Amino acid sequence: MKKVILIKYGELTTKKDNRKFFIKQLKKNIFDKLSSFSFDIIDDYYRMFIIPNEDELEEIVLKLKEIFGIHGIVIAYETQDNDVENIKNVCLNLMKEKNEKTFKVITHRSDKSYPIDSMKMNNIIGAHILKNTNFKVDVHNPEVELNVEIRREGVYIYNETISGLGGYPVSTLGRALLMLSGGIDSPVAGYLTIKRGVELYYLYFESRPHTSIEARNKVIELARKLEKYNTHGKLIVINFTKIQETIYKELDQTYLITFMRRKMYQIAERIAKKYKCLAIVNGESVGQVASQTLSSILAVNDVTNYPILRPLCSFDKLDIINISKQIDTYDISILPYEDCCTVFVPRHPVINPNLKHIYEEEKKYDFTSLVDEAVNNAEIVDLKEKISDLL
Amino acid sequence: MIYLDYSATTPVDERVLDSYCKVTRDYIGNANSIHTLGVKSKELLIQATNQIAEIFNCHPKELIFTSGASESNTTAIKGVAFKYANRGKHIITSKLEHKSVLEVMGYLSNIGYDVDFVNILPNGQIDLKHLEELIRNDTILISICAVNSETGFKQPLKTIRQVINKKNPNVIFHSDLTQALGKTRFYLSDLDLASFSSHKIYAPKGIGILYKKRDLQIDTLIYGTTENCPFRGGTPALPLIVAFSKAIRLMNDKLDSNIKKCEKLKAELLKGLSKYPIQINSTSQSVPQIVNFSLLKIKSETFVHALERHEIYVSTTTACSSLEESTVLNALSHGNKDVSTTSIRVSLSHLTTSSEIQKFLEVFDRVWNELLLK
Repeated sequence: MKKVILIKYGELTTKKDNRKFFIKQLKKNIFDKLSSFSFDIIDDYYRMFIIPNEDELEEIVLKLKEIFGIHGIVIAYETQDNDVENIKNVCLNLMKEKNEKTFKVITHRSDKSYPIDSMKMNNIIGAHILKNTNFKVDVHNPEVELNVEIRREGVYIYNETISGLGGYPVSTLGRALLMLSGGIDSPVAGYLTIKRGVELYYLYFESRPHTSIEARNKVIELARKLEKYNTHGKLIVINFTKIQETIYKELDQTYLITFMRRKMYQIAERIAKKYKCLAIVNGESVGQVASQTLSSILAVNDVTNYPILRPLCSFDKLDIINISKQIDTYDISILPYEDCCTVFVPRHPVINPNLKHIYEEEKKYDFTSLVDEAVNNAEIVDLKEKISDLL
Repeated sequence: MIYLDYSATTPVDERVLDSYCKVTRDYIGNANSIHTLGVKSKELLIQATNQIAEIFNCHPKELIFTSGASESNTTAIKGVAFKYANRGKHIITSKLEHKSVLEVMGYLSNIGYDVDFVNILPNGQIDLKHLEELIRNDTILISICAVNSETGFKQPLKTIRQVINKKNPNVIFHSDLTQALGKTRFYLSDLDLASFSSHKIYAPKGIGILYKKRDLQIDTLIYGTTENCPFRGGTPALPLIVAFSKAIRLMNDKLDSNIKKCEKLKAELLKGLSKYPIQINSTSQSVPQIVNFSLLKIKSETFVHALERHEIYVSTTTACSSLEESTVLNALSHGNKDVSTTSIRVSLSHLTTSSEIQKFLEVFDRVWNELLLK
């Protein structure tokens, strides 16, 4: 008897006309992710079946757990023999592997030419299990659900679902640009955005030599962690040194962070447009630091009317940390390298910046050519890791 | 020359040696330095560590590079004993362990710890019932090797873990995997701590790994920690680490076929030995790479030197305690000196050939008859 993997779609069930599009993208993403394995996929409106090499099954399941748009992963037994006696025995053997608790049988008969209807199959299989084991029936809250799907291609039997990540298949909802610093929040914001089916490009501002190559490597590592889910992202690095130094020299230093972030947003908008990103994403969480008070957000957001997504705006820090541990970015984020937001920080940054004052100050220096230069000299960093041939 | 002492140490694989030399020459920066040369070394260090973590199926942060398995064993055992002394002072181990384990245990029992040895069954496995009886509320550590170096006896780590979890889930489980690496498959998820050595798998000597489960806190042995070595002090030995990582990859790629090959060689060897009145100590529970037997009538040392005259190299017990009586066989044979002082270990490798085994058997026959006549 063959083992196959059955994929249950996530929130796609709420989609109607677009459903085929979502499924097609999910299938493409699965092929991308599993490119090193050999397998077949059969899909329809409700389900997808992956027919793997049996010895690769476990590895494939691990990979599927990293794909958004999958609600549940099921390892099902496939039998070609749809004779009732055979189905009964397969069911019984499968149930014997479980601790005996309460159960119910759910038969789906998508092959309507099958002579016995679903209700009757439930009864026949249920009776067989009751007779031969100590399981008890509970149709309302069963501890084990035994599923029998009778299809033209064969009969699929399973009693355990592994949860998938949920969300939407990546890139079904367009692309966005994540402002990726080295901190804990932005990778988490990125992860949550990818979960909603959005493909990400990453934007990083660096201030060499005030920031080190290690700080950049740290961001590359973080981007790579997100690539596990995102797959086709690009990391764009902006050289921010001159702008930062000029702000420091020319403008009111207590507003340094505000000015810096205004420039960053301007640059981000232009990069987003250039790479067809429909929104900018960042890791801001209201009130967390001086630059994330509502009045700071207002003062910074003032430079752009591009959509800015802040998936973490209402998250507590501890909740953010928990997610960052789950996605394995926490350990990288806490490495102690200076990033461009931590060099030249004023001792008491302004908490409630005043827009009038900002406009006055910004009149003192024309940043246009510096911003142009930063955008034009943006560097694209390869995220595919080249493994040393020494290994 | 016929080398049949691969469990003592192995010749370095040319491909591994090549990497070792290149890294020594080209990566001069200290991985702890912040300049470009340091960062270049650090990047390679991270890749080498990640590669091992992927093969071992663990987190890279769970791998601590040490100078070898003896240091790993010492760090693990002392580290737990000192950290958790307030929880209890009872430790369980077996007579199957390497010297570095047994000696730390001796030291700990001298300073007030209570060390128990679990019995060994005739098939070479530890007595799980006895283990269950031994586990107490104040037991803090159990250290049992996955594969015994003298006899190749393999232990059921997963079952041991289940016994621990049933009786006292707080007990920390350490296993010396030195002889398991490259000889059999293992799952680190069953363990809290594990020790590895490089030179048993065709890598240079001088490097080992201590696997430490992430959330587990133990005392450190070597101070002077840095960001890249957060648990054990010292500059990362990059050439050795890269060489070890490469050797692990090469080993892993061929593990199944190498095991099969050694099984075949072992069968040939055992068939050839079956006509002599000797006692085969390795059992069906032994890894195929290690064949241990007691000559009963000829002292092991005499026999090893006699074979050596024909350029055949085997060992008496283990390389680390060659001139002493075998503790394992002593325990197994209940003190029968004929068994424990006449044992020979032949250890095989995928490099061993069938004709080497035949040649060994020929020479064995000659030496056997010569020495018996005397």
